[in-house]
Amino acid sequence: MIKCVIWDLDNTLLDGVYLESGERPPPVSTALSAVLHELAGRGILHAIASRNPPEAGVYAEQATGHAFAAVVCGWGAKSAAIETITAELGLTADEVAFVDDDALERAEVAFRLPEVLVLAPQDLREAAALPLLGAPASTEEARRRGELYLQRRARREEARSFGGSREDFLRHCGTRVTIAPASAADLPRLHELSVRTHQFNSTGIAVAEAEFAALLRSADHQVAAVRLADRFGDDGLVGACVIATSPASWQVRLLMMSCRALGRGVIDALLAWICRAARAEGTDEIAVACVISPRNVPLRIALTSAGFRTGRELEADGAERTAVYRRPAGDALPELPDWVTVPA
Amino acid sequence: MTPGSADLTGEIRLLLAEITGDGAALEAPLGTPLLRDGIGLDSLGGTVLLTEIKRRYRVDIADEDLNLDSLASIGALASYLQARMAAPWSPR
Repeated sequence: MIKCVIWDLDNTLLDGVYLESGERPPPVSTALSAVLHELAGRGILHAIASRNPPEAGVYAEQATGHAFAAVVCGWGAKSAAIETITAELGLTADEVAFVDDDALERAEVAFRLPEVLVLAPQDLREAAALPLLGAPASTEEARRRGELYLQRRARREEARSFGGSREDFLRHCGTRVTIAPASAADLPRLHELSVRTHQFNSTGIAVAEAEFAALLRSADHQVAAVRLADRFGDDGLVGACVIATSPASWQVRLLMMSCRALGRGVIDALLAWICRAARAEGTDEIAVACVISPRNVPLRIALTSAGFRTGRELEADGAERTAVYRRPAGDALPELPDWVTVPA
Repeated sequence: MTPGSADLTGEIRLLLAEITGDGAALEAPLGTPLLRDGIGLDSLGGTVLLTEIKRRYRVDIADEDLNLDSLASIGALASYLQARMAAPWSPR
């Protein structure tokens, strides 16, 4: 059971950045404040972990009208702030949830404190419907999601006591990655992934179901769906890629993966598969157009790690910086682990 | 090697050991790659490293070094940081 929710302030509990808003601090997010009060009504504590001066915490208390159980404002890592809070409140890491809009802060906490339930602000409303957060009734979807959180925790606890390498651990868990052409039944989930993935998303652009349906029908495109399961549970469809194929080059139009699959070798497996499939078709080059954003650093690390390189950035057309990462299809191929199943 | 860069290399080794939970980084040769078969960082571990470097040294590698060549080895990362902290980066 979650006993305390730890909040980031800037662009999370506050609708703006505290230090950048001049005389008038940003207002409280109405939607998140409502969830905060609802959870408080169930007896869940709230705390603040913010990269701000202490006044920001005082302001958040006034603005929400809620007395926070602990407030850590400062410039250290969020995982350190969470450890301070859990120590102060006498809680263990598996009894707290952490809400932050910044994907990298969430990654840092998920990495260092794997027991913490890490949530993006947009996921909090959904999580609040879980028994894990004291919700009374349970829908089928909430039950399934609650199970996923528990599976994730069980996997992380086992990882902590496991002695071997990460690869050994994935094998030990009976990890199964399946890469196969997407089908019409996958369309709703593909659309959902395009909206909800950030850390592993090459474009950051939502793709409608109808657009995916057209890509499935196109002779010049491949849409590959990636599924993940292990003995802790079945995560289902966790990622996909859209490739415009021609004999000379494979242009990867979209690469996306759920953070549910983070740290489980899935993105590396997908990139290795793309390289191998392109070479099997006799293609010369693979190119991935990728937005340069602080949100998708994990994807860019995976790309460079798989041997992709970029020349220079494309001229920004206003909104987003973009670079094309390329690699020859014939170069030394990244290893495809033996737990990856691909269509014959 | 200047004393400054030796300190920096030591700090990087400590940081890597902390992130991987494995002391091997403390002893690994300067040429050891950070990703995959070297220190063994995956994309998540690499992200934690870049986030921590940005926080400690105010150098945003993910924003500047698009090919992440600075993650090629412990030595490459130390040299990159050393150069960046000696001369402020000129904006793109």
